[in-house]
Amino acid sequence: MKDYSGVVLTAPISLGYARQSPHGAAWFVGSVLREMIRAAGINKVDIDGFSVSSFSLGVDSAVALTQHFGLCVRWLEQANVGGVSGILAMRRAARAVQCGEAEIVACIGGDGAAHRSFEHTAAHFSNWSTDAAFPYGAAGPNGPFSLITAHYMERYQAQREDFARICLDQRYNANHFPGALLGHKKLSLSDYLNARPIAGPLHLFDCVMPCAGGEGFLVMSEERARQLKLPAVKILAADECHNAHADDPIQDRGGWTRYIHDLYNSAAVGPEEVDFLQTYDDYPVISMLQMEDLGFCSKGNAPEFVGRTDMRFDQSGPGMHKLPHNTSGGQLSCGQAGAAAGFLGVTESLRQLTGQSQKNQVPNARVGLVSGYGMVNYDRGVCTAAAMLQGVDR
Amino acid sequence: MNIKDKMRARLKLSRPSLRAEARPPGQRSVCGSQFSAANLPGALQLQHCTDCGHIQYPPAELCGACLGHTLIYRNTACEGTLLAQSQLHHSLWEYFKRRISEAPWPVATVRLNAGPVVIAHLVGRDFNAGDAVQVFSHSDASRSVVLLAVSASANIETPQLRQDIVAAIGLDQPAERQHGI
Repeated sequence: MKDYSGVVLTAPISLGYARQSPHGAAWFVGSVLREMIRAAGINKVDIDGFSVSSFSLGVDSAVALTQHFGLCVRWLEQANVGGVSGILAMRRAARAVQCGEAEIVACIGGDGAAHRSFEHTAAHFSNWSTDAAFPYGAAGPNGPFSLITAHYMERYQAQREDFARICLDQRYNANHFPGALLGHKKLSLSDYLNARPIAGPLHLFDCVMPCAGGEGFLVMSEERARQLKLPAVKILAADECHNAHADDPIQDRGGWTRYIHDLYNSAAVGPEEVDFLQTYDDYPVISMLQMEDLGFCSKGNAPEFVGRTDMRFDQSGPGMHKLPHNTSGGQLSCGQAGAAAGFLGVTESLRQLTGQSQKNQVPNARVGLVSGYGMVNYDRGVCTAAAMLQGVDR
Repeated sequence: MNIKDKMRARLKLSRPSLRAEARPPGQRSVCGSQFSAANLPGALQLQHCTDCGHIQYPPAELCGACLGHTLIYRNTACEGTLLAQSQLHHSLWEYFKRRISEAPWPVATVRLNAGPVVIAHLVGRDFNAGDAVQVFSHSDASRSVVLLAVSASANIETPQLRQDIVAAIGLDQPAERQHGI
């Protein structure tokens, strides 16, 4: 695969997180656009590429938003792939810039959270979900993921205390990230273990809180970013694979296994050399699958791995092995803002690698791995993607 | 009553939680409705591809193996293996909210011996992963067909026996509001 040289990501924006909001998806997408234009010091007319991800735009599409926002673009994309939308948008936009199809691409994910909108999204998520998953208890994503979690715990002897390691360290990170919706609350092991049950082994703090919010970043040439004096991040390698291991009767691995070795080879960086890892944490078991499939530990060893690993951003935990993980608190502590959740790991990585993080800055963060997962079409997440990112020296 | 109060009353009445009777989710895709229609006569009917013999679930318009378009609903063996189970304590749907207020609602993932993996209502609580189970279809209180998993020893020979199992977990009746409107 051709590399991504000459292209950078810049101007990360995360805004508007709220449990409920009177605003629609277009408000969040447009507000991110406004803030990234301001942050980059460019004009709206400079943006000639536009990529949008959202679940709640309804009949409006990306093209409707160009008219709403007065954008004239020569490159347009709508990537409605939930938890991988950030990495997908990044990959597509980087190629567009590399090939000269666009100069500056705005990649944005955003969703509203109107009263009872989550119920509607869950009830009509996909045909297979409507026909063959939702009628069985109408638990939304909690249903299939409680079954995946129960199977993982049984097969690999994982305990709730192992999942707690991920949730507790993420909450610590969120306590230092002002944007996190649950960042003002501390979480202890007994809070975690005594939380009310939701579905099978899943209890309250294993589940993300659906919310409204917007996330986004700009993709442009390295030269343009230098002219604009913008701190930027380059893509060392990135890949994706969807519907891999379809014959596994119940999911305990994802498509990352298909490309992760190539990804590390192309990046010339291994898992032991990354300064942080951002996984898609819709449930802690899914972060564990990613740690295994991305090569941080072997299959089934994630419970042991998280037990000895300190995943706090500042390495202040007791674990001897250090790996800052979901340094803004992830969705488990920030909230899951629909398709914006697929951007959360990317924007957080950009802040970390450009030294723009505030209280939750990972010291000397140079290289980071971000991973995406998503779209429970029926019984499992179908999409996977991963990207190795590196800060550009200034 | 002024407009504001009228609107507020209307909004209140549109809340599922205030309805006298709540039913299971009845929305289905076109393929899902065909699945319901095909399953009314027998214990379990799944799509069989007449080109390659692939048996598939959830229902779709084309064969997921060979992309053939001649799919026929045929009687399928009910036997399978329980892969995972879960007791639901929370639901987004009023019917299940009312049922769960009495007891957690059990669901399971089952691999049918015929091939497909299905999610089903689980009848009973004494199950372990790996147990042999049987899966059959039945209409629920929304007149949509759903799948139920029961122990391998349960007798599901006749429609009446299957109806009795469905009635025992209350799936054929709407969940009623406890304290009136």
